Amino acid sequence: MTGGAWLCLAAPLVGAAAITALGTSIPRRAAAWISTLSTFVALAGALWAFFSLRSQPGHRGELTTAWTWLQSGNFKVGLELLVDPLSTMMMLIVSGVGALIVLYSVGYMDGDDQERRYFAYMSLFVFSMLMLVEGGNLLLLLVGWGLVGLSSYLLIGFWHERPSAVQAAKKAFVMNAFGDATMAFAFFILIAHTHSLSFATDFHLHLSTTATSLVALGLLGGAAAKSAQIPLHTWLPDAMEGPTPVSALIHAATMVTAGVYLIARTHPLFEQARTVELLAAGSGALTLLVAGLVALVQTDIKRVIAYSTMSQIGYMFLGAGVGAYANGMFHLMTHAFFKALLFMGAGLVIHALGGEQDIRLMRGVGRLMPYTKWCFLAGALALVGVPPFSGFFSKDSIVAATVNLGWYGWVFWACGVAGALLTGVYTFRLWFLVFPGEPSPFVREHHHRHHGLEGPWTMLLPVGLLAVLATIGGWIQWAPRWHYLTSWLEPAARTLAAAEPTSSQEYWTSAATVLAGLVGIAIAWWVYGREALPVPEAPFWRRTLEHKLWFDELYDALFYAPSAALSNWLRRDIEEQVVLPTGPDLGETALEAGGVVRRLQTGLLRTYVFFLASGAAVIAVVFLIVK
Amino acid sequence: VSSAAITSALIWLPIAAAIVVWVLPLSRYATGSLAVLVSLVEVGLWIEQAARFDFGRSGLQFAERANWFSDLHVSYHVGEYAFSLWLVGLTVAAMAACVSYGFWVGRERPRAYFGLMLFLTGSVVGVFVAQDLLLFYAFFEAMLIPLYVLIGVWGGPGRLGATLTFVLYTMAGSLLMLAAVIVYGLQVGTFDLVDSPTSISRWLFLGFMFAFVIKAPLFPFHGWLPDTYREAPPEVTAVLSGVIAKAGTYGMLRIAIAKFPDPTSYYRTTMLALAAAALVYGSLLAFRSRDFRGVVAYSSMAQSGLIALGLFSGTNLGFDGAVLQMVAHGLISVSLFLIAGTVERRTTSGELALLGGMAKGRPGLATLLMTTGIISLAVPGSASFAGEFLILAGSFQRAWWWAAIGAGAIVLAAMYMLRLISAVLHEARGSTVSDEAMDLRPGELALIVPLVGVLLALSFWPAGISHHSFAGDNPSAVVKGQFR
Repeated sequence: MTGGAWLCLAAPLVGAAAITALGTSIPRRAAAWISTLSTFVALAGALWAFFSLRSQPGHRGELTTAWTWLQSGNFKVGLELLVDPLSTMMMLIVSGVGALIVLYSVGYMDGDDQERRYFAYMSLFVFSMLMLVEGGNLLLLLVGWGLVGLSSYLLIGFWHERPSAVQAAKKAFVMNAFGDATMAFAFFILIAHTHSLSFATDFHLHLSTTATSLVALGLLGGAAAKSAQIPLHTWLPDAMEGPTPVSALIHAATMVTAGVYLIARTHPLFEQARTVELLAAGSGALTLLVAGLVALVQTDIKRVIAYSTMSQIGYMFLGAGVGAYANGMFHLMTHAFFKALLFMGAGLVIHALGGEQDIRLMRGVGRLMPYTKWCFLAGALALVGVPPFSGFFSKDSIVAATVNLGWYGWVFWACGVAGALLTGVYTFRLWFLVFPGEPSPFVREHHHRHHGLEGPWTMLLPVGLLAVLATIGGWIQWAPRWHYLTSWLEPAARTLAAAEPTSSQEYWTSAATVLAGLVGIAIAWWVYGREALPVPEAPFWRRTLEHKLWFDELYDALFYAPSAALSNWLRRDIEEQVVLPTGPDLGETALEAGGVVRRLQTGLLRTYVFFLASGAAVIAVVFLIVK
Repeated sequence: VSSAAITSALIWLPIAAAIVVWVLPLSRYATGSLAVLVSLVEVGLWIEQAARFDFGRSGLQFAERANWFSDLHVSYHVGEYAFSLWLVGLTVAAMAACVSYGFWVGRERPRAYFGLMLFLTGSVVGVFVAQDLLLFYAFFEAMLIPLYVLIGVWGGPGRLGATLTFVLYTMAGSLLMLAAVIVYGLQVGTFDLVDSPTSISRWLFLGFMFAFVIKAPLFPFHGWLPDTYREAPPEVTAVLSGVIAKAGTYGMLRIAIAKFPDPTSYYRTTMLALAAAALVYGSLLAFRSRDFRGVVAYSSMAQSGLIALGLFSGTNLGFDGAVLQMVAHGLISVSLFLIAGTVERRTTSGELALLGGMAKGRPGLATLLMTTGIISLAVPGSASFAGEFLILAGSFQRAWWWAAIGAGAIVLAAMYMLRLISAVLHEARGSTVSDEAMDLRPGELALIVPLVGVLLALSFWPAGISHHSFAGDNPSAVVKGQFR
C-alpha cells in the first residue's frame, strides 16, 4: 500500500529530473513521452495504493515515514506520506486526469521549440500536486502547496516572451505567496502550542477559541488564494495565459481545488472554529454567484471556462464549509472530469483555428468538428447539472446539504440555485456562440485539420475518455439512494450531522436546481441561439462585469501602489539622503582632520601602532568607566 | 593526520599558499591552478573533518591550543562546534567557487590577486574557528585587509569611493570591538572564549554588537553595502555577502549572545526591532533596485535581518533556523552574485532596464538563475524555506508580531525576486543583450552547479543542518551553557 504511494510520488519527480538532466541530448518528442510515461506510472501507483487500502478492513489508512525532513529541538517533521481514503481519492484524480492531460499535451505542444521545458514543468507539477495530497503532516502539505504554486507560475509564464504571460505568472505567484504566508502563520500558532504539525495531534488540540479561529483563518487564507475564492481570486482569469492543457490540469482539475482538499483534510480544526468554516461557505457562495455573473460577459473562450471554474469551486467551498466534506470532494472529482474536458475541447478548437480564442469569431465551428462538438456538449451538460450527467449528482447534493442550517442555510441554498441558473446561461451562451449553425467566414478561412482528423489521436483520445467520465462519473453516488463515496471517505472526513439532508429535501432541491439550469439553458438559447435577438444593452452592468468588479484596480491601489511608493520613498529620502552619504561624509571629515594631523604621519610603523593602541586604550578606559 | 591538526591546516594551508604565490614568480596559469587546487584541498579537508565530527557530543571538537602570552591568558586556541563546522564548510565551498571564478575570467595581476584570495580564505576560516578573543580579533581584521585591496584594485569604476566607505565603516566597528575585547579580557582575566565566564556589561555587549551589525549588516548600519557590492568584482561581492556577512551573525551567536546573556535579554527587543527593520527595509529596497546586484545586495541585508531575528528570538527553533539559514543563504548569494557576474560579462551591464529576454536560447543560464532565484525566495520545500520557517516559528514564540513581519517579508521576497528573474530572463530582449551573448560555458557551469546542487541536496534534508548544529535537543540550553 505504501509502496504504491511512494511510487506514485516518485515517478513524476524522476520524470522531471530526467528531462532536465538529459537536456538536449534527447529529442523533444522523447521528453514528451518520458513525462507521459511517468504520469501513467504514478497512476499505477495510485491504483495500487487504492486497491490495497480497499482490501483492508475498515480502510483507516497508514502513515509511512522515509526520513526526518526537518528537526529542531523537540519539533520534528518527517518526510511522511499518509495513505487514507481521502488521499487515495485525490491521488487517483490527480494522476488519472493528469495522465490524460499530459497525453493530450503530447499532441498540443507538438512543434513548440520549448517542449522539453514544458514537459519538465508538467512532471514537476504532477509531483508537487501529489506531494500536496499525500503529505502526511501539515508542513509537507505546505511544501506541496508551495511547489504547485511554483509550477503554476512556471507554466503560466511558459511563453515568457509575452509580457502579459509574465505579468500573469508573477501575479499568481505573489497572490499565492500571500496565502502561503497566512498558512505558515497558522502553523506558527500550532507549533507554539503543540510543538507539532502532524495531522493526528492537531486535530484534538485544546487551544483557546481565539487561537483555533486564527489557525482556521490562516488555513482559509491559503485555501482561498489557491482556489481563487473571493477576495483572493483575481489571479485565476489571468492565468489563462498559459498553454491550454495547463489550464485544464492546474487551473481546473487539480491545483485550484486544493483548497477544498485542505478544508476536508483539516476539518476537525475548522469544526472547532465553526464561524470560520461558515465563512468559507459564505465566500464560496459569494464566489459562485460573482464568477457566474462575470462569466456572462467574457469573450475569450478560456476565460469563460476559468470563471466557471471559480464558480464551481465556490460550490465545493460551500459544501465543505457547511460540513458536507464528501459532497465537496465528490464535486471536486466530477468537476475534474468535465472541466478538464471543456478546457481540452476548447483547446482542440483553438488548435484548429490557429490560436484564436475569441468566441465571437467562432460561430459554427461544430459543423467542421463534430467529435469535439459532442464531447464538449457532454461536458457542458455535466457542468450545468442536467441528469444523468455527472454534475447533477454532485452539485445537487451540495445545495441540498445547506437546508438544515437555519436562515443562512437558506441563503446558501438560494445562492446555489441561482448559481445553477447562471451556469446554464453562461455555459450555453458559450455553446451557442461557438458550435451550432453555419460556420462563420472566419472559421472557414482559418480552420485546418490535422491529417484529416480534428486533432492528433493523443488529443482526441483523452477528450473522448473524459467525455465518458463526465457522463457516467457521477453515477457512483446519488445522495438519496446510494452513498458509495460518502462511506468511503467516512474514516477520513465524516459529514457533519447538520449537513445531512433527508431524501425528500434532496429530491426537491434537485428539482429546483435542475429546473434552474434548464431555464438558464433556455435563456441562453433565446438570446444567443437564435441569431436574431440582439444581446441586451446594459452599459453600466456590462462595464462593471467586464472590469471584473474592479478588484484588480482595488488591489493595485490598496497594496501594490503603496508598497511601490513606500519603496521609492525609502530609497529617495532615506537611503540616498541619509544612509548612503554617511560614509562619504565621515570620509570627508576624516580627510579634513587628516590635514590637521598630517604632522603625525611620520611613516614610521611604530608611531601608527602607538596611535592605534592608544586610541583603543582610550575607548577601553571609557568602557571601564561607564560600565 | 590527527583531527585537531585539520583545523589548523584549514587556516594555514591557504595562507602558506598565498605566501608561496606572492614570493615565487609563477606564471598566470600556474598561479591560478595552484590557487584552485588549494581551495579544493580545503574542501577535501573539510569533508574529512565533517565525516569525523561527533554531532552527538557537546563541547569544542578538533581543538588545538598553545600558549601565546600566558600572563594575559592569551593563547592560540582553535576548534569547532557543530555550527562553526557548517560555517567553515560554507567558507571553503564558497571560496573554491570564487577563486575558480577569478581563474576563469583571468583577473589581472594574478599573483597578487590569487594570493589575496587565498589569504582571505585562511583568515575567514580563522574567524570561525578561533576560540580566543584576541585571535578572533586578529582574524577578523586580517580578513578585511585583502578585501580592501581586492575591491580597490580589481573593482569597477567607482571602486575607490566604495573602498573608502567600506574601510571607514569596518574600521569604526573594529575599533569599538578591539576596545571591548581588551576590556572584557582584562575584566574576566582571560581571553579564552571557552573558559571565560559570562559578563553583564551592556557597554561591552554593544561594543561587540556594533562591529557585528556593520558586518552583517543591519539597518541603518549598511551605508557601505550598496556601493561596495556594486563596485567589487562579482566574486568578491559573492564572498562578502555569502561568507563575510556570516561572520557578523556568527559573532552575534558565538560572542554577543553566548557571553552576554543579561545584556542580550535587556536589549532583546531593540535587537529584534533592528533585525526586523533590516528585513523589511532590505526587502522594500530590493524591490525597487535598478540593477541585478542591487536586488541581491539588499536581499542579502534582508536575510541578515532574518538570521538575526532567529538568533535574538532566543528560542530553539530560532537558533537552529538561523544556522541553517546562514548556510543556505550563503550558498544562494554566492551563486546569485556569480551569476550576476556572468550576466555582466555578456552584456557589459547589470542595469535591469537594459537586460531582458536572456532565457531564449540560453537554457543553462535560465535554469540556474531560475532555480537559485526560486530557492532564494524560499519556495516551500527548499532549504531556505526550512530555515525561514524555523526562524519565524521561533520568533513567533517570542512575540507574534515578529513572525507577522517576517511573513510579510516572505511576500515581498517573492515580489523582488520574481521581478529580478523576469527582468533578466523574460520578455523582450534588452538593449545590451546581443544574439552573440552565449549561454553559460561549461567552465562557468562547473563553478555554480555544485553550489546549487548542495542547496538542492539540503532541500531534501534540511534536518542535516538544523538538527546537527547544537548537540542534543535543546539549542537554547546549549547556548546558555556557552556550548560547553
